[in-house]
Amino acid sequence: MTSPPTQRTNPLHLLAAFASGGILTLAIFVNGEAGRFGGAMFSSWLAHGTGTVVAIIFLAAVWRGQRAASAEATAKIGKAPLWAYTGGLLGAVTVMLTSTSVNSPLALAGTLALGLAGQVVLSLAADFWGLLGLPKRKLDLRDAGAVILIAAGSLLIILFGLGAA
Amino acid sequence: MIIPILAAFAAGLLVILSRQVNGRLSMSTTPLISSFWNHFVGFAFLTVVGLVIGGLIPANITEMPWWIYTGGAIGVVFVAAGSWLITRIGAVNSTLLVIAGQMVFGVIFDLLRGAPVTIWAAALGVVLILAGMWLTQRQR
Repeated sequence: MTSPPTQRTNPLHLLAAFASGGILTLAIFVNGEAGRFGGAMFSSWLAHGTGTVVAIIFLAAVWRGQRAASAEATAKIGKAPLWAYTGGLLGAVTVMLTSTSVNSPLALAGTLALGLAGQVVLSLAADFWGLLGLPKRKLDLRDAGAVILIAAGSLLIILFGLGAA
Repeated sequence: MIIPILAAFAAGLLVILSRQVNGRLSMSTTPLISSFWNHFVGFAFLTVVGLVIGGLIPANITEMPWWIYTGGAIGVVFVAAGSWLITRIGAVNSTLLVIAGQMVFGVIFDLLRGAPVTIWAAALGVVLILAGMWLTQRQR
């Protein structure tokens, strides 16, 4: 569990992560429109509710495989601790926090920029210490370089790129 | 001003914490089962909060376009993908590449729908992001 991976990261995994960022853009747009109708709380409630239904449909479609894979994972790793079920609480609180800051002088750009900082800080700590039962990863100078380049590029887009000059 | 700043920063921390927690659940189950629990627990919690505060369901709910209801479906795939990824490429790579995808597709999306985009800043930002992505894809 604590041995850092030494081989090269699979490019397909990186591509999948990049693509999932793309679908996040779509989800944020759709949920933002829902928020214009009924506010941030309603938008998050609706997304979690419809998400629950969709997840049940997906699971029902592939249940035999999922049940077998889950049983195998539990046999190998052990049962998940109770706190592992709290991800949805954290997501719900996140919406409350961002709707506070979006409606402050920070606006959307400031909220995104500070949120980005929070994400980078905690993911560095998570890999460095292997937080919450996930594997540790060795960080090196190239990680630092990637963090600086991607953070700088994102801040440029958030603060100057979106909206007319 | 300090409270909104802390709130925005804490929201970023919680995004990662949530992905980490869901990732841990997926290690003992599957990414899809973990995504189900994420949405179910969040829905239960928000329902309770909504009932306490009141006014959860807007009066104009019937006027919403049908595609408003697709956000949850996209979210299920996104959360499952996040759990699958974080156990394979780690927290930093997940964070950086998801942000990279979000930004690059965000710029493309805004260009397509004709939202105002400042081209020099968006283009330079995308170049920096692609350079950073190239760095994550290296030989150790």
